[in-house]
Amino acid sequence: MPPLLIAGCGRLQGFGGEAPPLATFTVVFQGDLAPLRPEGVTDVHALRVALVWGAQWLTEPFCVLPAESPAAAQVIEAGCRDTFGFVPNVVSVSVPIEIDVPATLTLTQLPAADVMVGDVTARVAFGSLVVFDDRDDSGTLWLAGPFRGPFNDGRGGPPEPSRAPSRDIIYGASFVTMTAPDQRIAYREGAFDARSAFYPRAGCPPPPPGFSVLAAGGFSAEAALAALLSGGLPPEDPSTCAVSAPADTTIAIAARAPAEVQAVGCDARTEDSSVRYREPPSSFDYASERVWACAHLPSFDTGGGSAASDLIQLVVSGRLGDRCKGLSHYTLRGCFEDVNCAMPEWDLTANPPDWWPCGP
Amino acid sequence: MFTALALALTTSAARADDGRRPIDEDWPVQSTGPLAVDGGLVLALPARLETGLSSGIGAGVTRGRRFAWGVRGSWSSATESSLVWTVSHDDFRLRAVAALQQPAGRGVFALRLGLGPTFVYEHRTRNQGARAGLTGPDLETSALAVFPAVDLEGVVTLHILGRWSLVISGGPTALIADGALRGGWTAQLGAGWQP
Repeated sequence: MPPLLIAGCGRLQGFGGEAPPLATFTVVFQGDLAPLRPEGVTDVHALRVALVWGAQWLTEPFCVLPAESPAAAQVIEAGCRDTFGFVPNVVSVSVPIEIDVPATLTLTQLPAADVMVGDVTARVAFGSLVVFDDRDDSGTLWLAGPFRGPFNDGRGGPPEPSRAPSRDIIYGASFVTMTAPDQRIAYREGAFDARSAFYPRAGCPPPPPGFSVLAAGGFSAEAALAALLSGGLPPEDPSTCAVSAPADTTIAIAARAPAEVQAVGCDARTEDSSVRYREPPSSFDYASERVWACAHLPSFDTGGGSAASDLIQLVVSGRLGDRCKGLSHYTLRGCFEDVNCAMPEWDLTANPPDWWPCGP
Repeated sequence: MFTALALALTTSAARADDGRRPIDEDWPVQSTGPLAVDGGLVLALPARLETGLSSGIGAGVTRGRRFAWGVRGSWSSATESSLVWTVSHDDFRLRAVAALQQPAGRGVFALRLGLGPTFVYEHRTRNQGARAGLTGPDLETSALAVFPAVDLEGVVTLHILGRWSLVISGGPTALIADGALRGGWTAQLGAGWQP
């Protein structure tokens, strides 16, 4: 009854009326795109900015362990994405944007649970604002993926379908990598675990509950590896940290060459550093447009408690012209889920394919 | 239900020649006055909400015999959600009523007409708004509106024991909102007291 007494007389709206946005972000994109356009691209078709929620991702061991040979180092360079880079998970809303004209990005839905890291008492999502040329007129950023090499699935089924390449061209992002200054969108529910390694900002204030815009200066890869080896998180310079409400901040994104930022539009097939080793196909022109090396399996990638393998793998990068980096791993013996399985699903060690360049 | 009701209304005519005692001896009715009070649970179509079932309580008092008049009031509430909103409507119905009554055995049949205002208090909550940190009118809104309304209800009163009775009523309702007539229905199941 008390609410009835203090309620103002007015018009009932029921389920109608405009829904208040849950958060509104102001974005301004700066720079000249003409000199940045990729070769063969003569115009900017439809510039848009999208909010992309990040994935919790771990790189595979081959990419972080010291290269065992110069050839392996070249494969790492050609096929491994930035270990500390932003990895997209889900593309949220997007709106048109013009250079030097502020654009408003409005959220009417919270990020879903699958983009938040943590449990229901303490979870957080981080996102990057990505400016892209919507060349396929889909109205959203179409995520891309690496093109991996062919393989035998050993199950008689059709080959794995490859998805259509993304035609969208990325020209900038507010959060590209943790090793460079970034501005990221944060959404927090409940408490915040300062030990969380999900795009960490150690030394910076935690994100406030709800939506916020965070800034950090970034850390070096060397500092990050040193901190990880000591069991900690790489610290940020506190003077570079910033936390603000969405309404209080204009997020400026500088135009960059697509080659520098296109990885923010490349999703990852596996996010837990696991590696799927494949059966070599009967024929494979592995040296064409790809970088390859023969290498031992990473010593700690031996499967669930099984002994270390003496297998030599052929590791092949994606095609050099591909937008997204990726690796394909081949072994002469193994299983789809465990390269060191006791009963291999394929074993070509006694009769390797003619093209196989590595030892057994 | 009608079979049971007919049996109940005619039971008073049962005689001792079939070995049973008349029910009036075991369950005597003492209601003789013109005043009747009743109250009970209300179910109704929400007055202004597009969907849902409104439930609550209602009560009334009437005076008279073949022709009775009185006042009634009820409150009922319904809460429903869309993707964006959770909407709660509290309907407060105030009615001046007039009724034509026909006693039948231990019961009374009546046709009751009610006129009066229906106050609707609306409370809307933006779904996910609290989690996103919204406050104030971005998170919640409320409004109160009043509409002229009319009810036409059939009423069955069955005297049970002493001054107490079972009262069932229900029927169509209508109110005028935004210049248009909006139909609905209401029903009540409760207890009555008649001195």
